[in-house]
Amino acid sequence: MTDLLIDSVEAVIAPVVRVFGIRHHGPGSARAVARGLDAGRPDIVLVEGPREADGIAHLAVHPQMRPPVTMLGYAVDHLDRAVFHPFASFSPEWVALHWAGNADIPVRHIDLALANTLADQTTHTQIALDTGDEGLVRRPADPLAELAAAGGYDDTERWWEDVVEHRDGRSPFEAIAEAMTELRAAYEPDFVPTDPTERRREAQMRTGIRDAVRDGYRDIVVVCGAWHVPALANALDARQAKSDAALLRGMPKTKVAITWVPWTHRRLASATGYGAGVTAPGWYHHLFTHPGPDTVARWFTEAARLLRRHDYAASAADVVEATRLAMSLAVLRGRPLAGLAETNDSARAVLGDGTDAPMILLSNELIIGTLIGRVPDHTPMVPLAKNLAVEQKRCRMKPAATAATIELDLRKALDLNRSRLLHRLAMLSVGWGVEVEGRRSAGTFRETWEVLWEPELEVRLIEASALGTTVAAAAEAAVSQRASMATSLAELTDAIEQCLLADIVAPLPHIVGLVADRAALDVDVSHLMEALPALVRTVRYGDVRGTDAQSLATVVSGMVGRVAAGLVRACSSLDAGAAATISNAIDETRSALSLLGDARLLGVFHAALAQLVERETVHASLQGRATRLLADGGALAADDVERRVSRALSPGTAPADGAAFVEGFLGGSGTVLVHDTELLGLLDSWLSALDAEAFVETLPLLRRTFATFEVAERRQIGERVRRGATSGEADGGESLDPERVAAALGTIAQLLGHAPMTGPRS
Amino acid sequence: MSQAPCSFDPVTTHDPADVLRPHAEIEFASELAALVAQDDRPRPPRWKLSPWSVVTYLMGGHLADGTVISAKYIGPRRLIEVAVATLATDRALLLLGLPGTAKTWVSEHLAAAISGNSAMLVQGTAGTAEEAVRYGWNYARLLAEGPSMGALVASPVYRAMEQGAIVRVEELTRMPSDVQDALITVLSEKVLPIPELAGEMQARPGFNLIATANSRDRGVNELSSALRRRFNTVVLPSPSSVEEEVRIVTQRVAALADALSLPDVTVPGDEIRRVVSVFRELRSGQSEDGRIKFKTPSGTMSTAEAISVMVQGLAMAAHLGDGSLHFDDLLAGIESTVVKDPVHDVVVWREYLDSLSIR
Repeated sequence: MTDLLIDSVEAVIAPVVRVFGIRHHGPGSARAVARGLDAGRPDIVLVEGPREADGIAHLAVHPQMRPPVTMLGYAVDHLDRAVFHPFASFSPEWVALHWAGNADIPVRHIDLALANTLADQTTHTQIALDTGDEGLVRRPADPLAELAAAGGYDDTERWWEDVVEHRDGRSPFEAIAEAMTELRAAYEPDFVPTDPTERRREAQMRTGIRDAVRDGYRDIVVVCGAWHVPALANALDARQAKSDAALLRGMPKTKVAITWVPWTHRRLASATGYGAGVTAPGWYHHLFTHPGPDTVARWFTEAARLLRRHDYAASAADVVEATRLAMSLAVLRGRPLAGLAETNDSARAVLGDGTDAPMILLSNELIIGTLIGRVPDHTPMVPLAKNLAVEQKRCRMKPAATAATIELDLRKALDLNRSRLLHRLAMLSVGWGVEVEGRRSAGTFRETWEVLWEPELEVRLIEASALGTTVAAAAEAAVSQRASMATSLAELTDAIEQCLLADIVAPLPHIVGLVADRAALDVDVSHLMEALPALVRTVRYGDVRGTDAQSLATVVSGMVGRVAAGLVRACSSLDAGAAATISNAIDETRSALSLLGDARLLGVFHAALAQLVERETVHASLQGRATRLLADGGALAADDVERRVSRALSPGTAPADGAAFVEGFLGGSGTVLVHDTELLGLLDSWLSALDAEAFVETLPLLRRTFATFEVAERRQIGERVRRGATSGEADGGESLDPERVAAALGTIAQLLGHAPMTGPRS
Repeated sequence: MSQAPCSFDPVTTHDPADVLRPHAEIEFASELAALVAQDDRPRPPRWKLSPWSVVTYLMGGHLADGTVISAKYIGPRRLIEVAVATLATDRALLLLGLPGTAKTWVSEHLAAAISGNSAMLVQGTAGTAEEAVRYGWNYARLLAEGPSMGALVASPVYRAMEQGAIVRVEELTRMPSDVQDALITVLSEKVLPIPELAGEMQARPGFNLIATANSRDRGVNELSSALRRRFNTVVLPSPSSVEEEVRIVTQRVAALADALSLPDVTVPGDEIRRVVSVFRELRSGQSEDGRIKFKTPSGTMSTAEAISVMVQGLAMAAHLGDGSLHFDDLLAGIESTVVKDPVHDVVVWREYLDSLSIR
C-alpha cells in the first residue's frame, strides 16, 4: 500500500496500533523490536518516555553518539530533583529511537511530562533513578515470577531469557500481550493501577496514541514496558478518552530541562547502586552485538583474553572446552542456548580451576563491563558543562570510567592547568579527582591524583551550574559562599589554601580580610595556632604556583604576634589532656614557622616559649616540650637546657611533674638521650633517687614515654645505662676505620652535591 | 540393570548383597532400574542413563511412575550439573574439596549411574605405583610365555578404556607426580601405549575419569599444569546451612545404621541438630549466632565425621547403653573427633565446653 493511497483514503482507513510490550534493557526484546519495525514499516513510533525527550531524540542517530547514555531531566529551579533514563545499545527503546531516526520516521514520547513528575516535591526530593524495569520487577508481587513459575522456572530472569530473549523468528509481542493481559487481570481486573501516578502515566500514554491518530497517522507502533500493554488496548475508546482527560487535568507543573549524558555499564548494573536493574550489562551487550551460533565461543574467547592479560593461564584449548561444557550444560538443563548461568559455571570449572578470583575478574570486567558512553559535542548542556568540556580539551584530560592515578609536575604548564582544574572542580564538589598523599612530601611541585569520572558527577555539575557559567567563576562563587558562612578560622584558612591551589585569586582579598577580622576577634590562641600551618603553607608555596601571597604574609605576622602574646595564658592551668592537645598545636606552629624561614617571627615565638619554660602554672609536660623546642632551635644553650632539666628533676619537684616534664621533653624520640650523656645521667640519677611510692606513681607515665621510642633507641639507652656510660664517656667511643669512613664520606658528599673528597686522615 | 562383569575380579564371588558395604549400583539398583525404564532422553555412547537422569539420580526427585529417587547429594544442583556435563565432554572431572565434603560419595554415584559400575577404582597413595594406572605383568606367565596379552594384568584404567566406562581415581594429589603424569596420554590421546607388545589400548566411547583431591593437601603432589588442564574442576563446598547439614547427617546415619543392622535406638529429634551445630561452630570458629569466637581445632570437623560420631553413638547406645541415645555418649565421640593434636586441640575443646556452659 503506498503513501499516496493512504493519504487519499485517510478518512476511511481505521488506524492500526501495534503495541510492542518489551522488557527494558532486554537484548531479545530489542532484537524483536527491530524485526517488528522492519517487518511492517509504521508511519510513527511512540516510545514510553517523558514527553520532553522528543526534543533530543534525534541525537540518538548522531554519528558521535555511543551508548550507554542516559537522558537526564531536571527541574531548573530545583536542581536536586532529577531523573535518569538510561539506555544501553541493547535497550529496546534505544533500538526504536535509532531505527526511527535512520528511517526518518517521527518519534514521540508518550509518558508523563517531566514538567509534571518533577513538580511533585514528595516523590523527587532526591535524585530519582529510572529503574528501567518498572514494568517487570517492581510490581507488588513480581507478576513475571508467576508466569515463570507456571513455565516451571524458579528464576524469572532466566525464564524471560529462554522464552523471549533467545527466541528467533516469530514476533513474540502477541504472545506477550496475551500473557500480560491474563496476568495483570489477576492483579488489577480493569487494568487500572492503584498507584495514582501509575494511573496518570497510563492515561498519558493512551492520550499520546489518540493524539497520533488525530494527527493523521494510520500505522502506529508503541514501544512500552510489557506490563502496560493491556492498559493501552482500549486507547481509542471515546469514553476512555474522557476519563483520561479528567485524570490528567490540573497536574502541578515546573520548568524542566532535559539532555543526554554519558553513562556506564557499571551504572546500569544493579550491583553497584544507581542501577537500572540490569545484572549483566556486559553479557547483554555481547548477546546483542554478536547474535548467532558463535555467541558463546566468542564470549569465552574474550574471557580467555582478559584472563591472559591478568596472568592466568587460559589457552585456546580451554576456550574450546569451556564452550563445549557450556553447550552440554544448556542441553542438560533443557535450555535453547547457553545463558549466563551456563557460561559462568563452565568458566569456573574450566578456566577458573573452581576458584573465585578469576570469576571476580570476569564479573567486573566482562559481565558487568567497563564501557562508558559518549554524547555528541553539541548536545544541549548547561553552560558550566560546556565550559568543562572546553577545559578538558585544553588540559587534554578525558573523563574515563576506570580509576587512574596521575602524577602532576606543577613546573609544567599543562600539569599546572590540570591541577587547577581538578582543584576547582573539587571546590564545586564535583569529585572527578581526589588528591592522594602520593609524593607530595617529596616536593612542593608534585601532586598525585586519583581520577574517576562517575556519571552522577554530571548531576553535580548541573547543581553547581547555578553558581556560574564557567568552572572558574563557579568555583569562585562557591568558595566565597563557603568563606562567608565559615564558622572557624581554620575553615577560612583552608579556603585560602584551596583558592591558591586552584588559582582563584579574586575572592582572596575578601577572605584574607575575613581571616584578619576573625583572627583579631578570636581570643582563643589554639584556634589561631590551628589556622597558622595552612596559611604558612600558602605563603611559602604561593610562588610555586605563581600567585601573589604578600598580603597573607602580613596576616601571618599579625597572627604570630597574637599567638606569642596569648601563649602563656593559654597554657596555664591545664590538665594533661588539654596540655597534650596544645602541645601538638605548638609543635605544628613551630614547624610551620621554621618552614616559613622568617627569623623575626621565629624569634617572637621562641620568646613566648621561653616564658613558658619558666612559668610554674604551666603544665610540666608543656614546660618540657618548650624546653625541647628551644633546645632544638638553638635558642637555649646546652648548659641552660641541662640546668632546666635538672631543676625539673630535682627532689623539690613533685615526681609526677618530673615525669610529665620528661614526657614533654623527650616527645616521642629518645635520640637525645643516646647522644647527650649529661641528660641521661640526670634522668638516671633522678630515677634512682625516687622513693618506692614515688617510683610506683611515675612509672606508668615514664613507661608511656619510653614506649614511643624506636626499639633501637631503647636498646641503645639501655646499654648505655648498663655500661654506666653516664659518667661522661664521649659518644662514638668506638675506634673508626678511616678507610671505611672515607668510602661513606665520598657517597655522602655526592649526595649533598659536593665534589668527591677524600676522607679525613686520622 | 546389568551387573558389573566379574570375570577379572575373583574376590566378589559371593552374593553381592551380602557384603558389609554394597556398591552404589547394587544398593540403589531399583532406583537405577526405574530411571532406565523412564529415560527417553538421548544418551551419550555407552551411558546407562541420559545426563538428565544422572542428575536426577544424584539430586533425587519423583519419577512419572511414582518412583521416589532419594537424594544422594544434598547441595547445589548446579555443581552436579557441571560435573555430569563435564563427563559428557571429553574432559575429565576433578572433584576438589575439604575432607568429608562427599567427593568420593559423589564420584561413586556418578560412576554407578553412568556406567553401572563404580568398582573401577584407583586409590591414590604415596605408594601407588604406575602399574595401578597402566598395567602390570603376571610374572609366572611372563617368564613362561614372554610378553603377551595373556601375561598382562590390566589396571582399572585399562579396563575402563576397554569397556568405555568411568574409572575413578581417589586422592589424586596423594599419588607421586610421575604416576599422575602417566594419566596425561590417557586423558589427552585416549590411548594407553603398550610398548612391550608394540601395541596400544584405545579407549572406547564412554570412557572418562573422575578424580578426587583434597584441597587441604593440594600441595602434597600438586598436579602438573599439563595434567591439570585435562580436567574440569568442581569444588564441593561444606554444607551451606544447618538445615542442609542436618538432612545429610540424618539420611546417612539412617542408611548406615541399617547397613550395620544396629538394633532400634530412640533418637531424640534434636540430637542430630545439636551434634551438627557443634561441628559447624567448631569448623567456622564462631557460634551460630555470631556472638562468640572460638579457636578452631586442627581437624576439619567435616560432615562425614559428624555422621560417624552419630553412628558410633547409636552403636554404643544399642549394644552397651540403655537403648536410647544420650548427648553425653555423643559428646565423648565428638571429643575424640576434635582432639587430634593432644595439646592444641585439648585447649580448644575445653574452651568450647566452657562457652557451652555460659550460654
